[in-house]
Amino acid sequence: MRGRLSGKNAVVTGAAQGIGRATALRLASDGANLFCVDRNGPALAKVVEGLGEGHVAFTADLSLASSCHEVVAAALEHWDNQIHILVNAAAILIREPTLEHSRKAWNLTFDVNLKAPFLLSRDVVASMIEGGIQGAIVNVGSIEAVLPGRGHIAYTASKGAITMLTRSSAFETAPYGIRVNAVAPGVVATGMNADLREDPESWKEMPSGTPMGRHAQPEEIAAVIAFLASDDPSFVTGAIVTSDGGWTLH
Amino acid sequence: MTTAGSRGDQRVAILTGAGRGIGKGIATVLAERGYNLVITSRTREDLEGTRELVEQAGSAAVVVTADLKDPQTPSRLLHAALDSFGRLDGLVNNAAVNIFAPFWTQSESNLDEMIETNLTAPFFLCQTAANYWVQNGLTGAIVNISSAEDTIAYPEQVPYASSKGGLLSMTKVLALEWGPLGIRVNAVSPGSVDTEMTPEIYRQDAPRFMPIGRLGTPEDIGACVHFLLSDDAAFVTGTALYADGGYMLQ
Repeated sequence: MRGRLSGKNAVVTGAAQGIGRATALRLASDGANLFCVDRNGPALAKVVEGLGEGHVAFTADLSLASSCHEVVAAALEHWDNQIHILVNAAAILIREPTLEHSRKAWNLTFDVNLKAPFLLSRDVVASMIEGGIQGAIVNVGSIEAVLPGRGHIAYTASKGAITMLTRSSAFETAPYGIRVNAVAPGVVATGMNADLREDPESWKEMPSGTPMGRHAQPEEIAAVIAFLASDDPSFVTGAIVTSDGGWTLH
Repeated sequence: MTTAGSRGDQRVAILTGAGRGIGKGIATVLAERGYNLVITSRTREDLEGTRELVEQAGSAAVVVTADLKDPQTPSRLLHAALDSFGRLDGLVNNAAVNIFAPFWTQSESNLDEMIETNLTAPFFLCQTAANYWVQNGLTGAIVNISSAEDTIAYPEQVPYASSKGGLLSMTKVLALEWGPLGIRVNAVSPGSVDTEMTPEIYRQDAPRFMPIGRLGTPEDIGACVHFLLSDDAAFVTGTALYADGGYMLQ
């Protein structure tokens, strides 16, 4: 919705691809000023170039806690301490059989998928409270928190954790007028599953019984995120908005 | 009802966080119902107390002091079970840390402590037990002690709730993946339980906020754990049993 986010300053992680990229494009077209974060500098630069004037690309590896602090500090400096929206879209998925899932893969997954959203949210919330900003945080969960898939357990556990990160931080920030919500996508065609889509056999293994009969495009998830980031759901906090084409209905 | 003797001799389980609180209640109930135990925590003194309870109930306990954050701990515990009792039938991941602080003041080290103890350690213990069972053509049962906070929020506990949300999702994936291997994985999610850490005011207030009019006891939780470990629960996997005195109904 054009202009819905006019004047809002939004930080979006994972903005170089997939849901993060689609979210950056959507929030910008809704009028927000974007501070886009990703570890893939060249791809990020391309995305931000496409957003038009006045947006920022910030290359950072969110698996490092120090980078998370730098991201928020840089955004606050850029916008004179005013961040209104944070979208935690960056995530990784490592496929390793559970019985051989390595500590390295487990830790890296949690650093990116849980710790980074925690650290970014924490610092952004602190700035919102200090500045009296009634902002919005949107996390990207997954329906796998409810209905798990096979072969990438750290990812699934991290999404279960994000669900409760969302609900418990929403509970605490509600008195300050800060809303925290999450979208829980079903299968979305992104880089995370590009390899599976190239191989029809593995792709078939993804639950194929989606009532809508198809997987989602990243823009469809970005549209839900844009809604949650806007002032329209002013009484919605701690919600997990399932966006899965009906997959979890049955 | 007892499972003792169902395979010719007593069943054996590893129990973490066995020195205090709910862990002590689980140890007591499992011991009364015929389990020999490997009991672990960081504090030998606490574990010796639990060992006495186990022995009074007519079973045996091996004490292993360990830091669950140490990657060597899972195999140490497995070997303690095999060296002392020659078998392993069950694993109960009970140990957990909860550090209270407002969300925007929680430190990175608090988050690490809670995720590593409450989620990472259970995962690698599950993996170690399952590898043992699979490689030896055996089956087993795992119970993860989650919390009502895997679903509902309380103030000042964002990392704890996140870890429990992750633990719940992890439980579901493991159940899904290991169902065909004959390994069942379930959770017990306690509400408010009366332990040595419980403030007196909680006890007094219980009739007001608990539908069943009292706090839970560690033995209440132990009985649920025993059920999920037992063959009575042979068709139960991937579930969370909420033992909360009806708190979440409100």
